[in-house]
Amino acid sequence: MAAMNLSYAAAIVGAAESNVIGYPEELTGEKVTSLQHHIEAIKNVSDMTGIPISDIQGVFSTGWTGELAEHLGLHPRYLDTTSVGGCSFQIHVHHALAAIHAGIIDIALVSHGEAGWSYRGAGGAGGGRGEVSPGGEMTGAYGVFGAPSQYAHAMVRHFHNFGTTAEDFAHISVVTRDWAQLNPRGVMFGKKQSPFGGPITVQDVLEARLIAWPLTLYHCCIVTDHGGAVIVARPEIANSLRTTPVWVAGAGESMGHQNMLEMEDFTATSASRSSATAYKMAGLGPRDMEMAMIYDSFTITAAITAEMLGLAPRGKGYTLWKNGDAAPGGRLPINTNGGGLSFNHSGMYGMQLLVEAYRQLSRTAEDGVNGIEGKQTEATTCVVNGTGGTLSTTGTLVLASDDR
Amino acid sequence: MAYNKSIPRQGQHTKPFWEGAKQGKLMLPRCTSCNRVHWYPRLICPFCHSTDLEWIEGSGEGRIHTYAVQHRAFGGWSEEVPYVTAFIDLKEGDRMMTVLRGVDATKPEKIKIGAPVKVEFEEANEDTSIPFWRVAEE
Repeated sequence: MAAMNLSYAAAIVGAAESNVIGYPEELTGEKVTSLQHHIEAIKNVSDMTGIPISDIQGVFSTGWTGELAEHLGLHPRYLDTTSVGGCSFQIHVHHALAAIHAGIIDIALVSHGEAGWSYRGAGGAGGGRGEVSPGGEMTGAYGVFGAPSQYAHAMVRHFHNFGTTAEDFAHISVVTRDWAQLNPRGVMFGKKQSPFGGPITVQDVLEARLIAWPLTLYHCCIVTDHGGAVIVARPEIANSLRTTPVWVAGAGESMGHQNMLEMEDFTATSASRSSATAYKMAGLGPRDMEMAMIYDSFTITAAITAEMLGLAPRGKGYTLWKNGDAAPGGRLPINTNGGGLSFNHSGMYGMQLLVEAYRQLSRTAEDGVNGIEGKQTEATTCVVNGTGGTLSTTGTLVLASDDR
Repeated sequence: MAYNKSIPRQGQHTKPFWEGAKQGKLMLPRCTSCNRVHWYPRLICPFCHSTDLEWIEGSGEGRIHTYAVQHRAFGGWSEEVPYVTAFIDLKEGDRMMTVLRGVDATKPEKIKIGAPVKVEFEEANEDTSIPFWRVAEE
């Protein structure tokens, strides 16, 4: 069966964040709830695009879909609560593209709200995670607590297979921090935002506190608040709005495993498959990509994903950062917002990837929020890859600018 | 001293495993159709999708696939940091997770991927003995 080509069947017509992200309590003295992050972002994207909230026909989010639609007084004809970790939002765009192409809806809302900082500490302690599943039952005894304790195993296997070192991966932290120096919304923008903010060196990364060897603190993403929303619409609508559309040239999704116990190759993810689908749909390949937004929960996540997306040879993903290609002014800018490592990571970071990709390709990165010289790239194509779970699930989008 | 770390809640489909563990046996699920051992226990063979499964006693031998050193932990495990977690390639096939014994967590570079390991069991409570793996002589 030949799949219909969905390329350019829809565009992202706007992307916005909630009013206060990062560490709200420290900035304003008040906590923000997840629902508030959602609603503010949705209001902002509606104002930005001029699309009334009442025109939204499909609601896509992680688990909150019914609650959100009710809160907005909507009676959507398409609901999608796909919740497979941080890549869910890439997958939502994929699903929205299909629903629009099928003629079921014209306008889709993808929304995210997560008070990762305001309501921190709810998980973690106590262990015994996931005992409801047999995979969790057979790993819960062994002292792994949260993502870093698991992802560390992947980096050690990468050392073994490819002869890489912790220093190689440290360059990813350093370059990503350099990008955060161009983004005042990033929590590691400077000392005002966080005592840990400002530029860092490879030595800083290597000498930081160990979380799960070989991962030091600076190999790990931060924990923050975030809300974000994008609207996806069919071409006739996209071309009639005051905002600049960013086209969905390709989309794909896949999964390798749910539990890390089932990870066949600890140095590979399903992004090889999800990106192959997305590239094929787009009629483009890795060499056509002019920038990349890659989920960087940890440095190892970014490095492996760059390899899976075909942006670097196997085992050599880290070289994009080490040789400056990924850095500000480099050949292939990666994670221009400062990444999950230094901009913002609320638990599920996929929406942050989407918002930044939209800003760069719609030429609105200099919007007064991210408005520092050097922030805006000239990219006309961007591969966006979310990774969820423990290197488990992936969603890949190939986005193209309207002026391409 | 009472076992003070997280103890798995036993599921409905894994009784033979936990019964075996109490007797110091590593019980593994095997498909009678394709003869492959899988881990974790399933209701259906993940390789050939047969539902004709049996439990066999494993050799208790394996090799280190990869590992990490945990420096941040909660509950009883926080008293043991740093400790080494690892994934073990079973002699019978497929992979198990563990906390590795017989290694120096302060010298992770000395631990060898591919090194042979043997299973041992620790009694956590009267219903539960938990398998751990220890580095063995080659």
